[in-house]
Amino acid sequence: MRLGASVSTKSRSLWKPFRLNIAAKQALFAYVILLPTLAIIFIFRFLPMLQAFYISLTEYDLIRPPRFIWFANFIDLVQDPLFLNSARVSITYVVFSCAPVWVLSLALAMLFDREIRAKNFFRSAAFMPVVMPAVVNAVVWTFMYHQDGVVNTILGWFGLDPIPWLRSSRWALWAVIVIGIWRATPYYMIIFLAGLQAIPQKYYEAAQIDGANRWGQFRHITLPLLKPTMLLVMVISVIVAMKVFAVPLIMTGGGPADSTRVLPLFIYQTAFEFFKMGRAAAMSVFLFAAVMIFTVFQIRLFSRGEDR
Amino acid sequence: MRLFTRFLVVILLVSVTWICGLAVGAGTAAESAKPAFALPTENVTIEVWWHEYGPFTAYVKELIEAYKKLHPNVTINATIASSTDMNQKLTVALAAGTGPDIMDADASYYVAYYSKGVLEPANLDVFGVKSYQELAAHYVPGGLASGTFDGKIYTLPYQGNSMSLFINNKLFAAAGLDPKKDAPKTWKDLVALCPKIRKVEGKRTVQKAFEFPYHSPRWQLQDLQPLTEQFGGKILSDDGKTAYLNSPETLKALTLWRDVTRACGDPKNTKSTASNPNQDFVDSFTAMWITGPWATPQVQASPIKNDFTVVGLPQVDPSKPHTMVYGWAWGVNKNRPEKNKIVAWDFVRFMLSKPDEWLAKAGFVQPVKGVSETEVAKKFPFFNVHMKDVQTATWYIRSENVNEIAQTVGRAVDSVVYDDADPKTALDAAQAAAEKILKK
Repeated sequence: MRLGASVSTKSRSLWKPFRLNIAAKQALFAYVILLPTLAIIFIFRFLPMLQAFYISLTEYDLIRPPRFIWFANFIDLVQDPLFLNSARVSITYVVFSCAPVWVLSLALAMLFDREIRAKNFFRSAAFMPVVMPAVVNAVVWTFMYHQDGVVNTILGWFGLDPIPWLRSSRWALWAVIVIGIWRATPYYMIIFLAGLQAIPQKYYEAAQIDGANRWGQFRHITLPLLKPTMLLVMVISVIVAMKVFAVPLIMTGGGPADSTRVLPLFIYQTAFEFFKMGRAAAMSVFLFAAVMIFTVFQIRLFSRGEDR
Repeated sequence: MRLFTRFLVVILLVSVTWICGLAVGAGTAAESAKPAFALPTENVTIEVWWHEYGPFTAYVKELIEAYKKLHPNVTINATIASSTDMNQKLTVALAAGTGPDIMDADASYYVAYYSKGVLEPANLDVFGVKSYQELAAHYVPGGLASGTFDGKIYTLPYQGNSMSLFINNKLFAAAGLDPKKDAPKTWKDLVALCPKIRKVEGKRTVQKAFEFPYHSPRWQLQDLQPLTEQFGGKILSDDGKTAYLNSPETLKALTLWRDVTRACGDPKNTKSTASNPNQDFVDSFTAMWITGPWATPQVQASPIKNDFTVVGLPQVDPSKPHTMVYGWAWGVNKNRPEKNKIVAWDFVRFMLSKPDEWLAKAGFVQPVKGVSETEVAKKFPFFNVHMKDVQTATWYIRSENVNEIAQTVGRAVDSVVYDDADPKTALDAAQAAAEKILKK
């Protein structure tokens, strides 16, 4: 009996350091619950990224075993005019598709936030391009951009000559950018709309009492309170635009004369048409780094404003 | 009496042997040639992959059923992919060790598969020949050049397409031309015809006289290669390791391409795409178009119907004709069990044993001897024109980097045609890019 009591006391004292308080228990429980998801993310997201980084340091054609070449792919890429051209095309696409998307989606969100007739119908109609698959978009727009297509017919009404939208290295990228804007605007409009509806109405009422006009309300209430939403829209839209692939692939294949060969398309061709997996992986690492730097920069920019 | 019995027995034995012989003969007729080797008798399952093209798919499925009837122990599983996806699907599958027993690929890709060691050489026993030369002797000269590596035959083509000039008779007649008498023999002839056929309203082209392809870099190379060779040059060396993209001959070829385009076409205005490369021609938007015999059923199904003419590819010098042949071929995966490889080669032999059926059912011309004499060939529109072009052809370039070289050529053509770049400058850039590609 005494012995038993002694053992019990001893074991209790042994376990004492491992006793958890309620907060720690809750945290542990949370981690246990999260573990399967984290494992899936690690296996299917993180490991392939690590693998891609490893492949970027090799010469690999899928069938023969990879040959380790250190940073030769990266050194080669920064001197490759085709890669630099692709990077330039991607940056042009991102800048000229994202900026209009931010303005247009916010404007549309503000329009649909107001009490207008058949608001739900217009909201749904505006959202249609997002629902449509990218392949369908690309095919439909290819017909619309043809010499006798809708776009040139409309230009003809104003006495303008037809433009070879997809068959001119001068116009092709702009044609692809227009599709990007058309497709992305309604998606970000919905996000902005959610942000706008989260702003309490009483702020506007108070501003009105104080004599603030619409511009003043927009500048001093809407914009500051929409900052988190704007950050989200900017970060997501830049990432999505950096990864644009299906539309240029289907509509132009990167041509004419490389004018629409965005980086993801060049990565795809390098990997699955030229079978240079190491080189393609190095390009992916560049793309990843560019997106990461831009995202961190955007977050810093916004948080600096908040600190003030 | 005993003598009579013996005589009867002999007669009986001879008859049985003769009847057996007939049965074997019937089998031979069904399979075209009796295999002089032992096919596995146990159950064998093989995988065949091919690229999608309606009539082709239907015919291969028919062949699978026919082969399975002859060999009930063989199961053949089929996988069909689009022509644009096939190469990457195959490469990824071969890398993962899940590739098929029989693969179908554009002939120009096989050099890459060969150098990666995934191709099994043709099984001579299966074909009943003693040497690769004997096997090649069944084909037109050079017919197996695309699949021969280091003296061994690794792939067998089921289509070797010539590049010939298709003419829309109605558009020719509307321009006061006779498609037979006035058909161009040289590029100069072709350019001379263009002002009569091409129609422009304001700044809109409503009818093109002739167009080179712009929907795919591979097609652009397909047309630039014979042009260069007509001037006496080459795109790549025979071993595929040296590029001649800025040679005087390639420069002449690209300059001619540009001049023909300016006089005859409007590359900024086309509905042709990689999946519908003949679209402008079948829409009667282009009066003349270079394509292969496989396009015949598509043209016949279009409003043009049979109102078209096919003539040989226009030449720089008709006394030294030169064209190009490209196609698709069957190959067998080296990394499969031995019994699968035997069955795979036997099925390839079986599939290729009826070239006339390939022509009738899929519109594909096998570059084998004697096809022209078949009834089907005699009925196939302009078959002899296609075969004549095949006989003066070299195969599409062979290189592990064929897609990159094609992209490089396409880039040079695009910049000259779309951006008015100087052909010399464009080709110098292309040569620099090609040297870099080949150096790696």
